[in-house]
Amino acid sequence: MWLVYDWQAAVVIDQVGQIIDDIQVQGILSTRDILQRLSDLQNNQPTPEALELHHRFSDAQMCQKHEPNLPLFALPEPSIENVEQFDKALILQTKMEIEFGAGHPDRRLEHLVRLSDELRSSQLTLENRCIEWFGDMFPYAQQKRDRHEFLRKASTHEEMATFCESIGIELPQHNMPSKEWNLMRTSAQHVLDLKAEIDRVEQALRMLSNEYLPSVSVLLGPLLAARMCVEAHGRERLSKLPSGTIQVLGAEKAFFHHLKTGSPPPKHGHIFMHPWISHSPKWVRGKISRMLASKVSIAAKIDAFQGEAWTEKDVEKIGKRVEVLRSAKRKKNQK
Amino acid sequence: MCMSNNHQPKSKRFLMEKSSIWTLNATPGKRVYGEQLKRFSGQEFRRWDPYRSKIAAALLRTKQEPENLLPRPGSNVLYLGAGHGTTISHIHDIVCGSKNHSKGRIVGVDISPRCIRDLLLLVEKRPGFIPILADARKNDWQNAMLQRADWLFQDVSQTGQLDIFLETCGNHLKSDAKALFSFKMASERWTDEAIANQLETMKARIEHSNFVCEEVLDLQGYEDEHFLFVIRSIG
Repeated sequence: MWLVYDWQAAVVIDQVGQIIDDIQVQGILSTRDILQRLSDLQNNQPTPEALELHHRFSDAQMCQKHEPNLPLFALPEPSIENVEQFDKALILQTKMEIEFGAGHPDRRLEHLVRLSDELRSSQLTLENRCIEWFGDMFPYAQQKRDRHEFLRKASTHEEMATFCESIGIELPQHNMPSKEWNLMRTSAQHVLDLKAEIDRVEQALRMLSNEYLPSVSVLLGPLLAARMCVEAHGRERLSKLPSGTIQVLGAEKAFFHHLKTGSPPPKHGHIFMHPWISHSPKWVRGKISRMLASKVSIAAKIDAFQGEAWTEKDVEKIGKRVEVLRSAKRKKNQK
Repeated sequence: MCMSNNHQPKSKRFLMEKSSIWTLNATPGKRVYGEQLKRFSGQEFRRWDPYRSKIAAALLRTKQEPENLLPRPGSNVLYLGAGHGTTISHIHDIVCGSKNHSKGRIVGVDISPRCIRDLLLLVEKRPGFIPILADARKNDWQNAMLQRADWLFQDVSQTGQLDIFLETCGNHLKSDAKALFSFKMASERWTDEAIANQLETMKARIEHSNFVCEEVLDLQGYEDEHFLFVIRSIG
């Protein structure tokens, strides 16, 4: 004997689907009522009608109407008014779910990471172009390593002549119109603005990452932590990934090439950016990245399930492990 | 209650002119995705792009009467993998019509919040359409079904597409009703087996589950590596 229910009715049926008793909601339900009932159904909670029938038939097995292996039966049909209310409630439910998902930290992280990538790549291209431009126009100018200082100087001088004076060169022979000089100046300013923008984005990223992924952030640094989380499509998924996958996140191309052709598998993906790996000798990087990936996996689980976040102390312990790996004797055939 | 009315004559909500397909616009003057609008004998139609909609591509490829693949006005429709609303808007044109005067009901399920956001924009103008944010593989959306569907379409591009489809048809399709199943080859595990063999195996599974597989349409040219199965439940 089963007690089958949906959002508006409940029936007790026997083994062949014969209806023994039924009960249906009376009157018109409000959308709020229906929303409550729908969430009850999702949590496998009985509706008032189901409870009522349960009192009458306490030995009937309660289940929802989509349970497989039920005999054929029909629940009482809802009234036209209630169907209308039901459809409204469904749309409201969808809207609420969308609202609930909006502003999720995973999405915020993703936008920030992608934005900083985009800004960085366009800033670098623009900067190179700018530096080449200045080099071509002022061949004797000494562009030292600090390119930004040079550009900052250029952007502050309204006259080409005063700029040349300030960097101690003679005014070149060509007489570039001042309009063009102004364009050079503004593009130099633009490069500097973009740099400042990147810094602001990364600052926001660090803050969010430290708050949302405290353990992974303290282990990898907030920026790398954010990138790992985004590449894994969210914190929850990062916490569920095997550490082998975390190790090669970002090295998908090499990894699938390996699967396809049998070429050597990649040893590290984004995790390579961590100085423990990138500043280690080549032959030990694979070992360190494997160890570090497994630690990331643990840290991600702590963050995703609100455990006690790691501190510098915990990371120090891992740092010692890295030292052990680095000081291990290199085998003869190791590359 | 949104009952299907099988006696209602198929009104001219769907036109085929040479190789272009048109549906009667349920929201005259408004486009959904930048499609062409055109008037035929005083009524405005929207062009159904076969390069963007697998059903439109299937309508051009089928050997049956194209209208046989489509739901009737006033049907109760289940649509898994609703996407951005390109196809579903045309289905809505046919099933519900302007202000849902045909009393159709379309439940559109999609897993992606991004897609649902687009679909919610359709809701106001197109009554009768109900978007649901849920995973087709799970049961959350099933409560939205008030009765078995008169017509069903699935386009989910996940592994195990066929399993989902057969289970859904078993649970939610009326007897003697049509169901279309868009199959994306690339979503399945790559095997050495020839494509023709794989399709035969799938066909056999469909027949084994007590459905009639009427046609398997290769959508190559419109949507590469996609096949559309036309299926009918036994009456």
